[in-house]
Amino acid sequence: MSHDTHHAPVASKLDLAPERSDLGLLRPDRSTGLMDWLTTVDHKKIGILYGAFAMFFFLLGGVEALAIRTQLARPDNDFVTARMYNQLFTMHGTTMIFLGVMPLSAAFFNFLIPLQIGARDVAFPRLNAFSLWTFVAGSFVLNASWLFEFGHLAGWFKDFAWYKSLVYTDFAPANGWFSYAPLSGTFGQADAALHAPRFTGVGTDFWIIGLQILGVASLAASFNFICTIVNMRAKGMTMMRLPVFTWMTLITAILIILAFPAITVALIQLMFDRQFGANFFNPSAGGQPILWQHLFWIFGHPEVYILVLPAMGIVSEILPTFSGKSLFGYPIIVFSGAVIGFLGFAVWSHHMFTTGLGAVPTAAFALLTMAIAVPTGVKIFNWLGTIWGGRIRFTPPMVLALGFIWMFMCGGFSGVMHSSAPADSQQQDSYFVIAHFHYVLLGGVLLGLMAGLYFWFPKIFGRMPKASVAYVASGMVILGFNLAFGPMHYLGLAGMPRRTHTYHAGMGWDTWNFVATIGAFILGIGVFLAFANLVWTAFKGEKCSSDPWDGRTLEWSLPSPVPEYNFARSPIISARDAYIEHKHGGHKIGYESDGGEAGVHMPSQSWMPMLASFGFLLIGMGMPMLAMMIPHAGWIVIAGIGILFLGIWLWALEGPGGYMLKTPSGSTSPSPVSATSSTH
Amino acid sequence: MSAPLTKEFLAEEVRRYHHFITLALWLAAITGVEIVLIFIPLPLAVIFTLLCLLSAVKFFAVILWFMHLIYDHRLLFWVFIAGLALAFATFTALLALFHVDRIDTKWFS
Amino acid sequence: MSQVAESSHAPTSTGIDHKKLIMWLFLASDCMFFGTLISTHLIYRKLYPTGFTDAEGHQHFVQRLFDIELTSFSTFILLMSSFLMALAVSAMHKGQIKSFRRNVLGVIIFGLIFLGCQVYEFTHFYHMGLTIQNSVFGSTFYVLTGTHGTHVAIGVLWLILLYFYSFTGKLGGHVGALDVEVAGLYWHFVDIVWIIIFTVVYLIEYLGPNGFWGTGLPIAK
Repeated sequence: MSHDTHHAPVASKLDLAPERSDLGLLRPDRSTGLMDWLTTVDHKKIGILYGAFAMFFFLLGGVEALAIRTQLARPDNDFVTARMYNQLFTMHGTTMIFLGVMPLSAAFFNFLIPLQIGARDVAFPRLNAFSLWTFVAGSFVLNASWLFEFGHLAGWFKDFAWYKSLVYTDFAPANGWFSYAPLSGTFGQADAALHAPRFTGVGTDFWIIGLQILGVASLAASFNFICTIVNMRAKGMTMMRLPVFTWMTLITAILIILAFPAITVALIQLMFDRQFGANFFNPSAGGQPILWQHLFWIFGHPEVYILVLPAMGIVSEILPTFSGKSLFGYPIIVFSGAVIGFLGFAVWSHHMFTTGLGAVPTAAFALLTMAIAVPTGVKIFNWLGTIWGGRIRFTPPMVLALGFIWMFMCGGFSGVMHSSAPADSQQQDSYFVIAHFHYVLLGGVLLGLMAGLYFWFPKIFGRMPKASVAYVASGMVILGFNLAFGPMHYLGLAGMPRRTHTYHAGMGWDTWNFVATIGAFILGIGVFLAFANLVWTAFKGEKCSSDPWDGRTLEWSLPSPVPEYNFARSPIISARDAYIEHKHGGHKIGYESDGGEAGVHMPSQSWMPMLASFGFLLIGMGMPMLAMMIPHAGWIVIAGIGILFLGIWLWALEGPGGYMLKTPSGSTSPSPVSATSSTH
Repeated sequence: MSAPLTKEFLAEEVRRYHHFITLALWLAAITGVEIVLIFIPLPLAVIFTLLCLLSAVKFFAVILWFMHLIYDHRLLFWVFIAGLALAFATFTALLALFHVDRIDTKWFS
Repeated sequence: MSQVAESSHAPTSTGIDHKKLIMWLFLASDCMFFGTLISTHLIYRKLYPTGFTDAEGHQHFVQRLFDIELTSFSTFILLMSSFLMALAVSAMHKGQIKSFRRNVLGVIIFGLIFLGCQVYEFTHFYHMGLTIQNSVFGSTFYVLTGTHGTHVAIGVLWLILLYFYSFTGKLGGHVGALDVEVAGLYWHFVDIVWIIIFTVVYLIEYLGPNGFWGTGLPIAK
């Protein structure tokens, strides 16, 4: 094949002569700086970009949360309007889940998976870049709704005919992250322009198409990662020797590919209702709004495990490292993860207990929901067993990981309470539910992900975050978090409803709402401090050794920052926790005779994934504009579809290319083995 | 994998080729039977069961032979079956969750 | 050539090619996709067995709307296109590029015939009074079969590109055979989805005088 004709191996890609692809276009292989980041297919750089975007959106979602809490700080407040409040909680939830937690998990998948399994890249490097840029396109579309909303508030549009014809002018989504029909849908009969009357403005259309695009990004990434984990393991890296984080990534990816199609279809149906006058959820034509709830939660409940399993994987790496022990009950932890994933598909209706499903389905879903507590509890006990009797080092990641266990357990307890359908009828739509899932998602997932950031940051950038700042930040996060969400248990049981922009004085809710707001601000400052510490470290932090924590898994055997080819020579694994065994145990890591002067095959960089993603950006901007009746908006959609296909077509035809890179010869293991063992 | 086209390899391909032709004839025949079946005055349950069985036979024949699952790595079979089984289970549960007697009959007209 | 290809395609842990594995993963995911669409259609068939009412207020039965001859014909066409696709993949394995081209051209033509039938069916139903706006049945039917049609159209486009690509001489060897096989997997999947749709959307409507779902409740008008 023509694309297999390589140059002689070079020490740096910049030594290469410019090369043309099969299409005759110049490949961006030799670019540096911004061009390099935009066209990169290196999983480590893609991981860093995912992480940077995710941290930005975490802060954005946090600002939205603080606006919500400011509004609720005292009774009868008018800090924001009711409509703005609805938009804030909708965008807060959507942002945190789809633009914060999922991409931050993806950042870890990208950076770590090839390193942990002893591979040089993912199975489809260009597809990986496509996932990243499609995620960026989706996140832009979702947040473009804010731009339109501010344009509307500032009165920019008032001279336009399309604006005058709008019935509703809410431009940012205001339908909750679950977007229940019929509120998000239509009623009555569609007119000649295929528009049926709706309950909400184009914000919902932004939400629909934005989520659809984010779904494409998640699906593409998941196919890629399953393929990578199953197919690209180093010699000797059997499935039961995989690090637990890799296992949890595999299960998460399987959940994504099986759960996302349900929301994809539901979003298509809702889009057809809103934009083409279909009747899937239109009650006045016989559509069943409850079907939306079913389809949404068929996706939505596995989504909960998609959010939490990566954090569980991270914690399962951190606890053994800082306890100086191997993970207690590795096979059981892996098995429990798989069982959680499997059961996650069989419990969706527990979000719908109050809709009147009937006694038998309700009982069945309640029982299955309770059953999930078993594998989750097994994991908790395994983590406790891991730290039991260990020589614990209270480093920042360890503090956060221990916080994870504690907080996640609290969230689990209130979760089991929800699984009982009669109790749930009391708690449904109250602040008790808010307390529950924030304990799981914030106390669980966010603490887990922050622990992961502090754990692997030295590996990613070769610089150590300031521990003192990290301790203060972790303390503020855990304290502020409990102060903010602990009282909500009480508020919920005292009857305070969710998604209500204000409350009257004298309901008995004043004090705890004020406390929760103070807690939220402490939490917000803590998260900001933790992130600021990391950003500062990435550029200015103190340099550290390649294995500062006495790590257990393969990534710690590599220099920091990790060279672009990852492994100078491919490792041969003979034990679980390969690197700690290599350092202190009897199983040394062997190395194959590849690399060296013969070189390592590196994939070529490409513009095409980004071009295809740009098509999604146009589709995503065009569809809501079509709903706004902006003239010629349909052409933007058509152009987007065209560019999407063009990008994929050029991508297929340009050929994968590639070049050979020399790696340091002679030294089989580039890491300072002797240096680390001397510290013990 | 990309090994030169050995005699065994070619013989295997020829064998598959004949399987494909036989299978195509069967698929056409089964479709014919299905179309005839719907006009036969047998109890609804019987015909319905037969139709489901016949389409399942066609479905699995295509994935096993045309899509090479019978020749390929077993993992691929289980990957696909996992998606299929989950889809089928969800479909069954959803269909059971909706009842005619739970909806507003106004919309039947 | 094969020696170079060997070096850049390191053997995988399972021995399965990446492209084949990712395509099967996609198909597993697509099972859920079509599973959800088919579920939606059948839920509404179960709830509203009598069909739909057109703009003039006339009640229509699904059984009388459908044209079983046409659908059987297009089903047969799609099945045979699947057969030709299997032959095309087989030809690529044997390195017979001419035979590949012949077969894949057949697949493309059959795919286009299927799409033509669908366009005809949609216009026919539209003139019978079924629109996406006037009933739940119209919405679920058009979106389900339309989504399947979109899958067919993407498959046709893919095969057309492969067909023309084969004239550049770059489609060959193990990589070429694999590319065709993966396209083939997609095409066969589109076919098996239709096998299901043919049975649960079309055939069972003909069972008994009132269709499988019955008329449910008496018709008000």
